[in-house]
Amino acid sequence: MSLRRAVIGTVIGLLAYVAVEGFLFHSGWYNKYLEPNSSAGEVEYYQFWLRRMWPPKVPDVLVLGDSRIGEGMSERAADAAVGGKVHFTPMGMPGSSPRVWYYALRDMETDRNRFSAIVLALDQYSDHDGEPMQDRREDLNYLAGRLKLSDCRDFAHSFTLPDRRRSILTGCIFRGMVLRQDVMDFLSNIHRRLVRTKDWRDNGAGYIAGYGGMSETMAGLTFDPATRTIHFPPGMKNWQMNSAKGTLTPDPAPQTGLSTAYRKEWLGKILDLYKGSKTRIVFMQLPNAPVPVPDSPEPARFIQSVESQPGVSVLPVDTFREFQRPELFADGLHLNRDGRKLFSEKLAQTVAPLVEAH
Amino acid sequence: MLFTTLNFLIFLAVVLSLFYLLPRPQRRYLLLAASLFFYMVWNAKFVVLILGLITIDYFAALWIVHKRGRQRRVALLVSLCANVGLLGYFKYTNFLRDTYFSVFHAGLPIQPLDIILPLGISFHTFQSISYVIDVYRGEQPAIKSYFDYALFVAFFPQLVAGPIVRAREFFADYFNWQPPTGEEWQRGFAMIVTGYVKKLIFADQFAMVADSYFNNPQAMPGLLPAWSASVAFALQIFFDFSGYTDIAIGVALLFGFHFPENFRRPYLSASVTEFWRRWHMTLSGWLRDYIYISLGGNRRGKIRTYANLMLTMLIGGLWHGANWNFVIWGGYQGAWLAIERIVYGRKEREGFERIPLAVLTFAITCIGWVFFRAKTFAAAAFVIGQMFSKTMGTSVLSTTQLLLILATLAIALAEEYKAVLTRLTESPLWLRTAATVVALLALELFTASEQSIPFVYFQF
Repeated sequence: MSLRRAVIGTVIGLLAYVAVEGFLFHSGWYNKYLEPNSSAGEVEYYQFWLRRMWPPKVPDVLVLGDSRIGEGMSERAADAAVGGKVHFTPMGMPGSSPRVWYYALRDMETDRNRFSAIVLALDQYSDHDGEPMQDRREDLNYLAGRLKLSDCRDFAHSFTLPDRRRSILTGCIFRGMVLRQDVMDFLSNIHRRLVRTKDWRDNGAGYIAGYGGMSETMAGLTFDPATRTIHFPPGMKNWQMNSAKGTLTPDPAPQTGLSTAYRKEWLGKILDLYKGSKTRIVFMQLPNAPVPVPDSPEPARFIQSVESQPGVSVLPVDTFREFQRPELFADGLHLNRDGRKLFSEKLAQTVAPLVEAH
Repeated sequence: MLFTTLNFLIFLAVVLSLFYLLPRPQRRYLLLAASLFFYMVWNAKFVVLILGLITIDYFAALWIVHKRGRQRRVALLVSLCANVGLLGYFKYTNFLRDTYFSVFHAGLPIQPLDIILPLGISFHTFQSISYVIDVYRGEQPAIKSYFDYALFVAFFPQLVAGPIVRAREFFADYFNWQPPTGEEWQRGFAMIVTGYVKKLIFADQFAMVADSYFNNPQAMPGLLPAWSASVAFALQIFFDFSGYTDIAIGVALLFGFHFPENFRRPYLSASVTEFWRRWHMTLSGWLRDYIYISLGGNRRGKIRTYANLMLTMLIGGLWHGANWNFVIWGGYQGAWLAIERIVYGRKEREGFERIPLAVLTFAITCIGWVFFRAKTFAAAAFVIGQMFSKTMGTSVLSTTQLLLILATLAIALAEEYKAVLTRLTESPLWLRTAATVVALLALELFTASEQSIPFVYFQF
């Protein structure tokens, strides 16, 4: 065999790999079989349901956020609170971040006319620097089924650490590396996964709509912000106490303005997506602790910079503060069943007039 | 630059493309420049060291050829002193200092000197020593071109962890360079892919098990944990080093260079003697030709032969690392070589009688690896004690890892008796394409660790 033929054979082998890999992980084929409870699965199943469901005849409001929306927002309670005149579609993806929201929204409705409003649920308006969001590696896990090859360069460059950029770029190109655990789990019991994913595709949206919320409560919890002392009532579980400690007594972080830059980049991109469309972007501050706690002294630079933009509404910062009561929280972060109902109703009643007036 | 990084693959693609685009006379400069760049990516200043040794050995060899009598010996000695001296300084200073203080000033706290071990120094010094000795023995002509000799020492596929290539092997290809044949190209590509699979899927998988046990063996007492962790390390070090070697040999083959085989399914050996004919073959050959034979080999009676075997393996052990555990490991290997020579002589085992002997040899090897892997002598003694304890404990290997071991054994036997992997590279295009797709997808999906785990032999 000549060298030329051997080299061509090698190139054919590599191209065949690129083709198979591309079909498996870049064409969207594997997205149908992602574990529903995985990071990537959360993003993809919402995409699937929204594409399959007919838009409601009344104005549709998407409420986008992390697990606090997943636990705290009830579609049924919200719809009922406004007499069905407006429909609410909660999209709470645990652990998700504005970077994930941007890519999820970008592909969810390319016409930008399905939703009358999109409510973006922020932990707080203040641009407080906590977790360094720019370099959150997990964002790639959420977007493993979503990013196109053409996104990889920009996506990797949105990370600041050089090593992280490299690993994100590699993972974005060779998507199997990110989906490794999911694929291994899939291969360990193919039948179980096929049954589960079909069920989730067909019924998952209904399961989420029918979810009632957590029954636990933090009733009896007290907190002294001056001394950073938390008192837990007897019988509270460890996960509840740990969660409350994390929320109420976070480790101090240096304030470097990274949060402002991050929000300007990713929430700014979301605003750009809907610029000129009929969709109103609404920012809200979540009830973010089981007791009233002072907001960070850091100014809300991003919110201040966008609140006067056309098509943007910013709900008053204390709209939902009344729900920061221990008896309405299941742990340090999430509303419980009672809190879920009250929060959903208030959100619906607050947002519906914005949509109707619009 | 680790072979397992994307940077290396880009580097390789660029150098390979330029190599075939450039006119032949320019290619050696490209390879030398690329090799030095490859080394400098790790630590630029140590390139001075490697160039210094190249210069000394290059002139020493010319001196040996052009002079007679005592002057030849002086040139040889200068070269040996430079290589062994620098290797000794960088690798053994702290070891000797620790040993001295622990013997003569026990209890005195000492801080290790801040000496960085230059990457690959154990390999390129051995390669250089073999060249100068071969020239001295008249088995190798001195290389006239400095660039040619520098490329022999610094050629990037083998620079940091071998295989230890002899000058006659390298220059046989170099001076009569022919582009690789189609079959050689395919074999080279297949070896690279196989090397990555060995390292990233198998070695790193077993590394996690071995690391978790050997970092704190006392946490998992019992016979099963000790044996399973030793087996895990045995497989880790084999897949790690033979994977590296496969990539090195494959890369060299794409450039038209034929590196010697370094591993031939060593865990199928039916004796320790056979193991050393199959494990790190270029080092075994080096130790045989330049230490064992220089000591007299088997020409001076039985007792002297056993002593030579022992001394050679002690040096081989010390070469691996500046630690008494490596010396003990070398002595352990030497003792088994001597015992086998006493018991078996030179008898080769054939057929089914190999099976129990192969199991026994693997067990002996696993016990030896404990000294190689444990951090201290006390830790090694503890693990070996556990290997013979009455407490069973629980295996540290998961079902997946046990299946990997069975797959490994099946592939090794198939390759040993049917040469399946070799035949695969000569199979029809569709089958090779399918094998490539499966191997690359496996690499993408089943790579054990998200972080690059350095090759074990880089530390030597």
